[in-house]
Amino acid sequence: MRVRGAFPYGAPTWPGSVPRPPVERRTGVDFETDWARRYPARLARAVFVDQVLRPVVRALVPPHVHGVDRLEALDGPVIFVANHHSHLDTPLLLSALPDRWRHKAVVAAAADYFFDTRLKATLSALVLGALPVERGRASRRPLDQSRALLDDGWSIVIFPEGGRSPDGWGQPFRGGAAFLSVHTGAPVVPVHLDGTGRVLPKGATRPTRDAVHVTFGSPLRPEEGERTNPFAERIEQAVSVLADERATDWWTARRRAATRTTPSLAGPDAGAWRRSWALERGVRKRPVRTWP
Amino acid sequence: MKALVFERSLPRFAAARVAGTLAPGGGARVGPLRLTDVDPPELPGPGWKRVRPRLAGICGSDLATVDGQSSRYFEPIVSFPFVPGHEVVGELDDGTRVVVQPTLTCAARGVEPVCAQCASGNTNRCERTAFGHLEPGLQTGYCADTGGGWSLSLVAHESQLYAVPDGMSDETAVMVEPAACGVHAALLTAASEFAVIGAGTLGLCTIAALRTLTTPHVLIAAAKHPAQKQLARELGADIVVEPDGLARAVRRAVPGTMVAGGQLTSGVDAVFDCVGSESSLAQALEVVAPGGTIVLLGMPGRVSVDLTSLWHREVSVRGAYTYTNDDFAKAFDLVQDARLERLVSGLYLLDRWKEAIEHAADAGRRGAVKIAFDLRNERGLS
Amino acid sequence: MPRPGFVLDVDRSTPPTLFWHGEGFRLERLPTGSRVIYPPEPLDALNDPDEAIRRALLEPLDSEPLPALLKPGMKLTIAFDDVSLPLPPMRQPDNRQRVIEAVLDMAAAAGVDDVQLIAALALHRRMTESELRHALGDRIYDAFEPHGLLTQHDAEDPAGMLHLGTTDEGEDVEINKRAAESDLLVYVNINLVAMDGGHKSVATGLASYKSLRHHHNVRTMQHSRSFMDQHRSELHSSNWRMGRHLKAAGVKIFQIETTLNTNTFPDQFAFLQKREWEWKARDRASFLAVSKSLGRTPPRLARRIFHSINAPHEMTSVQAGEVEAVHARTTENVYRQQLVEVSGQTDILTMGLPYICPYNVNSVMNPILVMCTGLGYFFNLYRNNPLVRPGGVLILSHPTPWEFDPVFHPSYIDFFEQVLAETTDPLEIEAKYEESFATDPWYIHLYRTGHAYHGVHPFYMWYWGAHALDHLGGVIIVGGDPAAVRRLGFKPASTMRDALEMATDVVGRDPSITHLHCPPLLMADVSV
Repeated sequence: MRVRGAFPYGAPTWPGSVPRPPVERRTGVDFETDWARRYPARLARAVFVDQVLRPVVRALVPPHVHGVDRLEALDGPVIFVANHHSHLDTPLLLSALPDRWRHKAVVAAAADYFFDTRLKATLSALVLGALPVERGRASRRPLDQSRALLDDGWSIVIFPEGGRSPDGWGQPFRGGAAFLSVHTGAPVVPVHLDGTGRVLPKGATRPTRDAVHVTFGSPLRPEEGERTNPFAERIEQAVSVLADERATDWWTARRRAATRTTPSLAGPDAGAWRRSWALERGVRKRPVRTWP
Repeated sequence: MKALVFERSLPRFAAARVAGTLAPGGGARVGPLRLTDVDPPELPGPGWKRVRPRLAGICGSDLATVDGQSSRYFEPIVSFPFVPGHEVVGELDDGTRVVVQPTLTCAARGVEPVCAQCASGNTNRCERTAFGHLEPGLQTGYCADTGGGWSLSLVAHESQLYAVPDGMSDETAVMVEPAACGVHAALLTAASEFAVIGAGTLGLCTIAALRTLTTPHVLIAAAKHPAQKQLARELGADIVVEPDGLARAVRRAVPGTMVAGGQLTSGVDAVFDCVGSESSLAQALEVVAPGGTIVLLGMPGRVSVDLTSLWHREVSVRGAYTYTNDDFAKAFDLVQDARLERLVSGLYLLDRWKEAIEHAADAGRRGAVKIAFDLRNERGLS
Repeated sequence: MPRPGFVLDVDRSTPPTLFWHGEGFRLERLPTGSRVIYPPEPLDALNDPDEAIRRALLEPLDSEPLPALLKPGMKLTIAFDDVSLPLPPMRQPDNRQRVIEAVLDMAAAAGVDDVQLIAALALHRRMTESELRHALGDRIYDAFEPHGLLTQHDAEDPAGMLHLGTTDEGEDVEINKRAAESDLLVYVNINLVAMDGGHKSVATGLASYKSLRHHHNVRTMQHSRSFMDQHRSELHSSNWRMGRHLKAAGVKIFQIETTLNTNTFPDQFAFLQKREWEWKARDRASFLAVSKSLGRTPPRLARRIFHSINAPHEMTSVQAGEVEAVHARTTENVYRQQLVEVSGQTDILTMGLPYICPYNVNSVMNPILVMCTGLGYFFNLYRNNPLVRPGGVLILSHPTPWEFDPVFHPSYIDFFEQVLAETTDPLEIEAKYEESFATDPWYIHLYRTGHAYHGVHPFYMWYWGAHALDHLGGVIIVGGDPAAVRRLGFKPASTMRDALEMATDVVGRDPSITHLHCPPLLMADVSV
């Protein structure tokens, strides 16, 4: 909290001749979130997710959920890996998760975005059950923490693209989820989210109404001796297949998968305008006020 | 003749008493004193001379009179209407400058044979101040027949006149009368440890007299105002303190003095009370040594003090009223040696008498000591 | 890792600087280019002080272990520092309690029956029961006091002092008789600043006026530059001569010295030992709460509140054994905590004086003590060169009330009202008045039977500042009672800005300014 006013009412200024010490980080990746997984916070979050988040999400963007049947055989902690277009992805995915995971899931969230101030960090941890991770860096602490969480029965939601899509196309998957799975043996469930990029694309402030789809894929497990990178590619491939399935149909998608001709999530390797052109949605719609 | 005249007027007297209580010197504006035109006093008989005042001081007892605060004790020994002013340096018809020794004793009153006190030289204790061929009056300035210094003319008996040496200024000469009081008091005791309470004219003259005429072992002065403190130091006080620091100073100065329950076990041989109030007398009793003497120079009036210590410590309290002729003569040396003219802080024309009296009544706070009327340039003999 | 001391160059983005102001504070914006000297942060304390004490006693420096010196039937005296140390009084257990309990444990084990404790207060006031209990703990107090074995040094007891001859330079050595005649004298120190301890402990703490006057005088103090630096201090040289004389005369001393870190103020006053720009919201809030509420508190109550502060001081070292060996080690430890390197002197030195100095524990800091704290103690917190150049100006911030404690400081009142009214020249004061105050039977009576400082003590306070008076071109007190300040011979100013303006009359335009951000204590090592 920053109280304005002259010192000593306000914060002191810093003498120019004194070097500033490195700020002691208590936000960002070092933000302590254990409290958010203790019972009071969990209860509060469960009430919030079930009583506020899901109804709002349903009212705003009624999700079509597919493929839940593929998870029936699964039990215990899971790593959910999804593509990422929008801030809507996390609430949507959380509200679409089957009950047995919904209240015991944490979301790996970018430390620099969700945990940069104490207020944001606290809210992220409390409301989303977010866990601070650094984008694109495999640092020790989040990995150890994630492993401990998986051991403890918590599932983890990871958006391995490391951020929301800037242009509607996907970005390359990073290896964190695969690494975690390889080192813990926890199964990876690929999830494809479709439509959120149209409802609330990056940079928009007001959502537009549109249909969204959540497609769960079959769980993946690292094969014997499989290393992180190949596994990460498999995961990305699996999400791409789900995207194809959504765009065409299951059979077409399976066939293209078998022939390795599934369209890449990342879109054509071309200039910016052609990428936009190829995106069938074309230019962003002018936002229409739909709510309330 | 222009003169300030004090008349017998009970309402005015009462008003002065009230005004004087509210503010020192307040009696000047409402009281029985007023500037008026009167006939010069006539010469009462042979041996009397006319004196034209040059400077006439305002004394503490004058102020008490103006403010209606003086004791009724004086009633039989003053006669109304009178012209106040007994600290007078003036000029005879032949131009000789004189200081008037104001006490109206047997000699001046033509009482023959003189009373026992006058005979023994203690003229200040004269027993005949209400008798003789003059109206009652203890001094020039309280007697209806002689006039007083606050006018352009008075009469004085030859025995009262002391010629001013050549080269002595009027300002120095006008200090002779108060200095004589100091001389008289200083010579009353044979002590060597002194405390002087109050550093107005009387206190400072006493300090000067003690320093000049005795050999004090220690001389402590209690003074309220900065200018007074400075003068007390210059005139010879060893230690100058605030009035409420007197007991501590005495304890320090007198070897072996201890404190028991807030009371000093010993003190100075002689205390000169130059204030004459209840608190100054109480303080004097506090700091006087067992068997010591308290000399009252200030006119105390009616006071209420606890005399237990006076009884228990066999303390003498004695008054010191004016001076003998010897003292008066000695005072001429003192005023010169101690340069007492520096105590004259303000001169006023008779027309500005109210301001003069207010200044005198508030002298300490205003950094002044002696205020006097300057009559040298007055015209107005009618 | 505690940070060392620090010299800040004030620039435009420097927040206002905290000045102590008696039972209060001022925030002053110092001109750009001024320097502020901050004390080092508190050193880490000993993990187990009691164990450290035991080890020091068992493995002393240049001495046999303490148990080897303790024999049944011997006469053992334990002397300890009085209420003037440490400042503010430390939280219990006090170092003295810890050390003396350890010594007594060993004495009990050795079967020593004749043990006496003496508060080594020289000419200071006697300690009150609660002060003794605070310093020694209830165990020691209740075990010794009822038997009359816990005594306070009485320098005016003709039967209680022993003259042991004179040093080579003719200085009388006269100390407490019981201490001098003991088979072993254990002296327990708290070395808060560099001047404490060494031979000064016994030669001053247990001495008489007759002996003290050889070093507590104007000449000595003017030649102690500073008296915090024992190698350049005539005060210490004289004490060392006396200490060596004591040794030659057969007084066997086992010295125990303890040092403290500068953790001086409890949590609610944490801002006092932080640098202003590092004040967190909490520090600012407590500063505001403290200073606002003090503004509404009657001075007497504010004083009570401040004097109830117990410092969270912690022991950083303890050493025992032969006096000089012990003191060399102690001094290193004090310097390790307090020394700050400063380069160059300053035209104007500013300092804020706190509510307390060694001589007004549980009492008011009267004007004479203000002078002594500013020109005596704080001015002398230097090594090599004074912080302020010769002819420079010292600006103090303190309310300097014209107020005295009649019980503790009776002679101060007379000194202030009679001596200082005449002159403020230390040499003249010494020549004209010292003797009569020192021998005044009333003061002696109060010193011996009450809780009064000795009659001569205010003179020592004045001598303490003699070097500064000699050195400085002027002294200005900001926010003091003008009459009291003038009586001290100083100039009063109502604001720091006025004071700096007045100071330029003495030191010229564009002066260099240095502020001593103290307490917590520091000692400036000034190179020129």
